Amino acid sequence: MVRTVRPDVVALRIEGLARSFGAKVAVEAVDLEVPRGSWFGLVGPNGAGKSTTLAMATGLLRPDSGRAEVFGVDVWSRRADAQRLLGVLPDGLALPERLTGRELLRFTGLLRGMAPADVERRAGDLLGVLGLDDAPRTLVAEYSTGMRKKIGLAAALLHAPRLLVLDEPLEAVDPVSAATIKGLLRRYVDDGGTVVFSSHVMAVVEQVCDRVAAIVDGRVVAAGTTAEVAAGAGLEARFVSLVGGRGRRIEEGLPWLRP
Amino acid sequence: MVAAVIRTKLAVLRHSATGPRAAATATGGIVGLLLAAAVLAVAAGGPPVTAPLSAERASDLLAVALAVWTLGWFVGPVLFGGGDESLRPEHFALLPLGRRRITAALGLAAFVGVAPTVTLVALGSLVVLAARSGHGAGALAVAVAAALAQLVATVITSRLVTAAANQVMGSRAGAGAAGVVSAALLAATHSAWVLAPVAGTMTRDGLPDTVAAGLRAAPSGWGLAAVEAAGRGDLRGVLAALGGLVALAVAAWWVWSFLVGRRLTAPRVRRATGRAGGAGRRARGPVGAVVARELRTWSRDRLRVHLACFAVCYALVLCLLPVAVGSWVFVPWTGLVLAVWLAAVSSNLYGDDGTELWVKLTVPGGLSHDVRGRQLAWLVVAAPPALVLSVGGVVASGQGWAVVWLAALLPAVLGGGSGVVALASVLRPVPLPDPHRRGGNLLQNGVDFTQVLVVLALTAVSALPAVLAAARGPGWAAPVVGVTTGAVLAWALGGLAARRLEATAPELLLALRTGTRGPRAAPSAPRRPGQRRLPPVRPGGRPAGAPPVRDVLARVGLDRAPAGRRLYVLVTLTVCWVPLAAQGVVPAALLRAGVGADDVEPSWFLALHVPPHLAWPAVAAMVVLGLALLVSGLAVGWQYLRQTRRG
Repeated sequence: MVRTVRPDVVALRIEGLARSFGAKVAVEAVDLEVPRGSWFGLVGPNGAGKSTTLAMATGLLRPDSGRAEVFGVDVWSRRADAQRLLGVLPDGLALPERLTGRELLRFTGLLRGMAPADVERRAGDLLGVLGLDDAPRTLVAEYSTGMRKKIGLAAALLHAPRLLVLDEPLEAVDPVSAATIKGLLRRYVDDGGTVVFSSHVMAVVEQVCDRVAAIVDGRVVAAGTTAEVAAGAGLEARFVSLVGGRGRRIEEGLPWLRP
Repeated sequence: MVAAVIRTKLAVLRHSATGPRAAATATGGIVGLLLAAAVLAVAAGGPPVTAPLSAERASDLLAVALAVWTLGWFVGPVLFGGGDESLRPEHFALLPLGRRRITAALGLAAFVGVAPTVTLVALGSLVVLAARSGHGAGALAVAVAAALAQLVATVITSRLVTAAANQVMGSRAGAGAAGVVSAALLAATHSAWVLAPVAGTMTRDGLPDTVAAGLRAAPSGWGLAAVEAAGRGDLRGVLAALGGLVALAVAAWWVWSFLVGRRLTAPRVRRATGRAGGAGRRARGPVGAVVARELRTWSRDRLRVHLACFAVCYALVLCLLPVAVGSWVFVPWTGLVLAVWLAAVSSNLYGDDGTELWVKLTVPGGLSHDVRGRQLAWLVVAAPPALVLSVGGVVASGQGWAVVWLAALLPAVLGGGSGVVALASVLRPVPLPDPHRRGGNLLQNGVDFTQVLVVLALTAVSALPAVLAAARGPGWAAPVVGVTTGAVLAWALGGLAARRLEATAPELLLALRTGTRGPRAAPSAPRRPGQRRLPPVRPGGRPAGAPPVRDVLARVGLDRAPAGRRLYVLVTLTVCWVPLAAQGVVPAALLRAGVGADDVEPSWFLALHVPPHLAWPAVAAMVVLGLALLVSGLAVGWQYLRQTRRG
């Protein structure tokens, strides 16, 4: 990949990250540069390696090779320094399940060493904005999928990090909350924050992201500004052509599927 | 409809009569038939090698046997995950039937199967008893009616109890109750030998009158009461007992039908259990936050509640059971046993929380704060009940000499335990499904046999310096050494755990996410051709209704061991306590205390039966035998565990 961004303005740099599970190569070699102040979309079909890449970039999964830097800080050799700059929302992992939403935020904030009064104030704000304060006695284990995403996002935002890495943050989230979250993140980016997020929904990526990378079979097949990657054809059409051949014979339909 | 229901149930049985389930059913059936044969033999006057029991003595023993048998019908399904669900109310939900008829159909289906058949054979003992006492055809007819009525009452009541338990099993109360029952069973098997003298006295002299009357007054004894009344020619007694059984069955069916109706119309809704403002408001700092969070987990998580109840109840039964034979010597140690067992069952803290580990991985310093917080929280959970039980035990038993020992041992074991728990949780996590994806089966609890043994051993070892100090040192040394070892071990082992976690957390997270310890590889040890290998078990993927025994076998790594070795391990580890504790340690304590065969009932203690100069050699031989069984059983088990865990 061609270096297009000056090093001093890179929020997240990924160089040659690779990871296999047994014989299966999940991520072959991914290079990415996310400029500071951008909203960066990561797209790709199921099993392409998006989540694996993001897990390696945030210190949750040790790569076989390659490196990841957050604002020039190596994620793996200077983990604590990198974690201070990062807010992470992984996909499909457990949360502190036997806590209520407010307790979860309180626990996360205190574990980060934040002042209790700050934690209380910010937790109240986040629960209110995300519409999670209607269920104050419900444990996270009883939350719906959308609520889980929202409380996970709240925990990632709590310490006001400089870089947010969000894996499928809008999945199963209701349209009203999704709009709120997008507004919240837009404001954050406008104020100089950086967001990296993965999604299956091309319309959302096209709507919010200024930069996009497409990962297929563990490799980056396209990267650049959203307009560059879409190449005038719309992101969805371009994505289908990049993934190639997976949507065969759509026109004919299934001959037996008639009401 | 009757025919359709029975045909359906038979079809279900036929379809499950293949593979390992069939083998398990057959094994269960054979064991059940052997037990039923034993009950029949009691009714017939005892085993043929001894002098026949009198009819009265046989009746008493039969009352005990039937009470235990009935208890099995109530406790078994609750313990082993919900009972027979091969036909469910939901299967009938869309048919135009009322809840009473659905319940009647389910009740009918409950009589088709191995367990009711075996129970009917066991209840045949009533007929044998009637035939033996020779009161004629009338008494025989009463016995047949009593056996059938008791079968109906037992099966229907058991279904009611199981249905009720299923409604509460999702709750923490149900999880706690299940822990109490399984702990009571386990502890009772470990210390039931103390009751051997009682059992001996009972078979010789018969039951105390109150117990005998109580056993006949309980529903499990009503069939027997009817047969005895028939023998006395007491027609009103016969009618009362039989009528009672029928009334019980009808009442149970009626109440059960309400539960069935509720299950069909109102799916279980879990209550919100948190506090509105949220707990932990006063927590300060990272470690304080972890402590607050852990304490919430201990009080809210079904599995943790289950394990905590298990540890408390195990300690109570183990140490209080000997009181039944007048021995208070174990009572002061109840708190200590509790602390050690609580350490053993809570040594999977990271496996228990699942992939939540990522949260601490994204927080600077989060991992070591987490380890320290968990240690502190474990102490907060373990120390108060251990202290209360220790103080209470000393006061109740009046054994003041134990105070010095407890002052030394308790802090050492609590400190050591908090260190060992943290280290074992990091070193040997057993991956479990994430808490919000976990089913209701409490047997899938991640308590690992080897882990429990290792933690038990390590926690016990942490008390060694304190033992030495209490035994040899001056009075002040014991508590000082105890507190010091406890503090040092908690600090050092916790530090080790934290460093280890810092180094391997991403790998641990991956293991928890993928459940790396399964599927297990086949054993690499060479097998002789034709040697039978038992069918493999998929960990975590137990099909509904499959025998939970295989879960247990899989957990101890014996699911793939050859049948002979598996049997050896199970038998040696079960039996070794008899020579080791009952014939070794206890008579040694009696001899040490200067108690000779003249002072106490020698009971079944071999060392008290042999001539005095052979007493100590007998004790030594028994201890060696027990140790040999224990060590060889552990060695074989360990070998398979290592092989199966390597995959």
